[in-house]
Amino acid sequence: MNRLLLLMAALFVGVSAMAQGVVEGVVVDAATQEPIVGAAVTLGNPTAGAITKESGQFSVSVAAFPTELVFTYVGYQDQRVRVEGPTTNLRVALVNQLDDDNSDFTFTESQLDDDNDASQTVTSIVSNNNDPYASEVGYLFSSMRFRTRAYDNQYSQTYMNGLLLNDMERGNFSYSMIGGMNDATRNKEGVAQHEYNRFGVSGVGGASNINVRASQFSAGNKVSLSLCNRNYKARVMYTYASGLKQNGWAFAGSIGYRWADEGVIEGTFYNSLSYFLAAEKRIGSEHGFSIVTFGAPTERGQQAASTEEAYWLANSHYYNPNWGYQDGKKRNSRVVRDYEPTALFTWDWNVNDDSQLSTSVGFKYAMYSTTALGWSGDAYDPRPDYYKNLPSSVFDVYDASKNNGEYLTANPYFLDQYNTLLDYWKSSKANRQINWDRMYYVNRSNLANGGEALYYQERRHNDQMMLSLSSAWSQSINMHHKYSAGLFVNTTKGMHYKTMADLLGASKYTDVDKFSVNDYGRNSDEAQNDLRNPNREIGIDDKFGYDYDINVTKARLWGQYQAIYGPLTGVASLSADATLMERDGKMQNGRAPENSYGKSGKAKFMGGTAGAMLTYHPGAGNYISTSVGYSAAAPNARNSFVAPSMQNNYVDNLKLEKTFDAELAYLFRFGDFSGKVDGYYTTFADQVEQTAFYNDQQSTFTYLTMSNIEKMHCGVEVALNYQILSSLSVHALETISEAKYTNNPLAQISYEGMDYAEVSKLNVYTTPTGEVVPLTVIADGMRVSGTPLTALNFGVNYNVSGWFFEANINYYDRVYVGFSPYRRLTSTYKTSGRVYTPSSVDNLGRLGYEVTKAEIKENGGLLYDNSGQLVKAYAAHQEKFDGGFMIDASIGKFIRLRRSKSLSINLSVNNITNNTNMRTGGYEQNRDDFYYSENNGVYTKGEGKAYRFSKNSKYYYANSFNAFLNIGFKF
Amino acid sequence: MKKVKIYLMLISAALMSPACMDDYDEPDTSNFLITSQESVGETNTTIYGLKNKYSSVLTNNNTFQQITTDVIFEGVVCANDAGGNLYQTLIVRSIDTTQTAGTDAYDQCISIGIKNTFISPYFAVGQRIKVNLNGLYIGNYSKVPKIGQPYYTSAGNLRLGPMLLEMCKTNIELVGTPDASALELVPVDLTDQTGTNWLTNSDNQTIYHTPMLATVRGKIAENQGGQALIAATGTLSGDVEPLPKIFAPEALYDAGYGVDRTLNLELASKTLTIRTSTQNDCSFLRLPSDTRSYTGQLTYYDGWQLTFRSVDDVERYQELQ
Repeated sequence: MNRLLLLMAALFVGVSAMAQGVVEGVVVDAATQEPIVGAAVTLGNPTAGAITKESGQFSVSVAAFPTELVFTYVGYQDQRVRVEGPTTNLRVALVNQLDDDNSDFTFTESQLDDDNDASQTVTSIVSNNNDPYASEVGYLFSSMRFRTRAYDNQYSQTYMNGLLLNDMERGNFSYSMIGGMNDATRNKEGVAQHEYNRFGVSGVGGASNINVRASQFSAGNKVSLSLCNRNYKARVMYTYASGLKQNGWAFAGSIGYRWADEGVIEGTFYNSLSYFLAAEKRIGSEHGFSIVTFGAPTERGQQAASTEEAYWLANSHYYNPNWGYQDGKKRNSRVVRDYEPTALFTWDWNVNDDSQLSTSVGFKYAMYSTTALGWSGDAYDPRPDYYKNLPSSVFDVYDASKNNGEYLTANPYFLDQYNTLLDYWKSSKANRQINWDRMYYVNRSNLANGGEALYYQERRHNDQMMLSLSSAWSQSINMHHKYSAGLFVNTTKGMHYKTMADLLGASKYTDVDKFSVNDYGRNSDEAQNDLRNPNREIGIDDKFGYDYDINVTKARLWGQYQAIYGPLTGVASLSADATLMERDGKMQNGRAPENSYGKSGKAKFMGGTAGAMLTYHPGAGNYISTSVGYSAAAPNARNSFVAPSMQNNYVDNLKLEKTFDAELAYLFRFGDFSGKVDGYYTTFADQVEQTAFYNDQQSTFTYLTMSNIEKMHCGVEVALNYQILSSLSVHALETISEAKYTNNPLAQISYEGMDYAEVSKLNVYTTPTGEVVPLTVIADGMRVSGTPLTALNFGVNYNVSGWFFEANINYYDRVYVGFSPYRRLTSTYKTSGRVYTPSSVDNLGRLGYEVTKAEIKENGGLLYDNSGQLVKAYAAHQEKFDGGFMIDASIGKFIRLRRSKSLSINLSVNNITNNTNMRTGGYEQNRDDFYYSENNGVYTKGEGKAYRFSKNSKYYYANSFNAFLNIGFKF
Repeated sequence: MKKVKIYLMLISAALMSPACMDDYDEPDTSNFLITSQESVGETNTTIYGLKNKYSSVLTNNNTFQQITTDVIFEGVVCANDAGGNLYQTLIVRSIDTTQTAGTDAYDQCISIGIKNTFISPYFAVGQRIKVNLNGLYIGNYSKVPKIGQPYYTSAGNLRLGPMLLEMCKTNIELVGTPDASALELVPVDLTDQTGTNWLTNSDNQTIYHTPMLATVRGKIAENQGGQALIAATGTLSGDVEPLPKIFAPEALYDAGYGVDRTLNLELASKTLTIRTSTQNDCSFLRLPSDTRSYTGQLTYYDGWQLTFRSVDDVERYQELQ
């Protein structure tokens, strides 16, 4: 019975006491009237409770009447029944949530369509059905890619049958692995941080456990067809479940297909099959064995962010620079292939009514790759929105000192060139997209002259093999005390390499590093990507460039204890974990010949968590809870190596990442008015973040790692619901939060084409007085990006005669652009002349500088006093996007047919007012505006180029008006 | 049995990967052009004629002017950026066999700047082109006659820079296909005594003789005797050049991202500068110590300067790699 969860029993405590007695009855499926086995029956006071047996029957002792019984079963809507006195024939019908596709998005569509792009993260959601905020926030704000509390996805844990499936390299859960399996993954339990559960200690982002045991699916068949104008155009799914048979077997299966020859974003496409198969065998009442396998082989063309200028030239905020015409047909340069076949084996052992052991073993072999254009250092950058191709690269129309009659009369040429490029961009769609034919032409020309591919398409692979085991014991000691404890072991091998996807008309390519060829010469060792196979000729599908594994092994012991004393419920949790990681290089890189091939040596981290939660129940429907937690966790392996594609070196200052969190929440019900208000405060310390990008300023691929990062997240969350009539309610959901960096982290930079000795010179900064200090990023005050820090909702629900209607108006604000650490490096400040020493001292001894406050706040800078002490460090301004409203609505009809069949039709329309100006995220370009020439360490400011990188960040916009029609038939 | 069929269907479907959508036919590029698809007009002048007409902006250092009428000339590409040592540059040469050999009217070159880091695939050596200067600028860059558009250098100086690549679509026409045997591809031989005398004659330091495709001969001064072991320190970088010496070590880069070496002419006690850009195959050629012939773009500023088109322009370059 361990798959059944006595959730939140402590939160629903009855108070009055009039008489004692027993309540007996049966729990059935509302649609099929079939008995539900294993449903939880709890009283407000969790001193009593029961689990329904084979026939759906239950019996609970009630200390006092009247009372309220709560009936819960995974996949069904909770139901509360007021019982006035003892009875033996209470019949409770639970409504299967599968009957209502639109009202219960276990995962939002955006999650299940997760592009898995680092550049555009997905909504982080832990859907807690008992929390009116957490249960709604995910789908209400998904259009803006809202992340709860602005946490990174890695802080939300996703379990399946009790097995943690978060990626051990990156920390986050890959939603694409369950893409298209909406029906199969609907049975889901969410818990908040530090909340008692039976599968593991939850982090600050909470945790979800998806129950995929075959017996948990309601018996029957379901077919659904969806049409939409989003990433895909059509989706078809079929799900079958046998239910638990008399012989103890249960089977479930689901298959789906999502398709778009072209998605709503031009040049994208979608081609995804998904499958899910589950079988379960129960032996007696004690043992259950479950095996599950699923996967979603997917191929899709990606969208890329672009600058506002490019959007303006294309006359659309949905311009996609990733595609271009090849022989008249649209071709996307960045195509993802993703297939993560996974198998789970679960053994459930009900030792007795009070003790359960659940053990799962999981295996995954993920194949994820994405293509990208590559080009020789000699060839022109083929990206259509590369800054040198844009009109603003030749003339800054926003520069009033130049865009005036006097200047233009004397210097007409730049505006002429601007107009030439403007006309070029606007005259033809093909002109603003990738020119595939041109790349073929160049390659063929070069081939004819004895050369090799100057342009090519590479496929970057991030494959992964994972083996994991989890075992959890849960024990009810008595009516007031219970605990759960377990262990978790995971070993993950991440395989990172790239292969040649397309030579674009050429016939060969030599595996040398194009940047090092320019820096060290074609015949140098540094030019070689693999000294063990120098100058290897690369054909289609051959590995080249880099090839390495990241191996991570993690083990964790955890335990939770819950105790109830009258109106107080306390939960305490502890965990301890050990993490081993190492890099295993498969190539001997010429820039790091001594530390690139073979194993790096293991880095070891011992961490742990401690959490506590106290809930006070002062009266019916009201709960006050507070929680506090602390964790020390190993950094993610993907951030732990200085330049993992090249060498074995670990990032300096690698430490356990520390997290402290505290929350105070009030859950209330006053008649028809209910809701929740909470405030939270979380700090992170010693975080490590890594960005990898093509550094246009240095003409090389660059890794930049920040360590010792400190952040603070805090905010207020409110959920309100007022039931005006039995069929009509209004609700509101509000978030006002803050999430920002609170220090200037240490920085470590590495250029792909530079040997280790040269790289080490980059990682220090020399103050004006000659003191050499560690390199840092001036990040204090920068906001966490890519999610609204303010999100407000008001909505209305109306249900009548099987029809339901919901409308929401949402306001979003305080979305910030992802800041560029590179632009805020102390060394970048220095080379761009933003390090200031006093130019004057006034009568009061106040220092004066040759920079205005407005300038330094905009561009950033470092102010020193005459003795060389840092007076103040300013981070360059981080852009905040404009706020705005979006309106969504949905309408649906549930039709119950004969013989337990049903039909549901749902239509959701999002962004009804077609607000196309809502930026969901974006990032600054990693290049500085300032063009200074160096003369033996002395930098002199030049005239500067027209293009302003600081004013040309790249943005993503929320979808324009879109609709989703779903027709489901259950039989 | 019915359920078994369902399972089989599910398993079968699961094992089927979706058909690949990322699959494309290779394009036909035989008619691909970045230049004008149609005629840019009838030729109405020559490079020599241009230099005569616009001599004032060609003579005064770093001046230029826009041409606003159809001024159209032809020439053969004799140097491009295929070797990486010339940047965004074509040298177009025209030999007028109706003129007397040896006169200025017979053999003229001009530089054309195009804003693209690799233009040689579109303008192969031996390709005859026709250029309509309407809308473009003529002038000089450090006294080298040039066609292009103004730009600011990274040092902030206004100069005649490369034209936008998009201008090729309206202003340049390819004439025929590349001809490897074109007369214009034969460098002017300045290796003999006559040539050496020509180089040392100041009367030849005019716009009519810069740029030109030429071959010179001599020894690299920096690699003679004890000089070969004396590593120079870069003025801008502050770094010391590596030994053995190469033509253009990064340590010695100057404001133009190039390195100058001195060629002692074989047949005169005169020198000539060999200028090589950093970060290309020519840069890493070891400096020879013996006497060799060098070919390339010859220009005059305050002395003669030769820039290789590629490593092939260095005699027996294979020994130096």
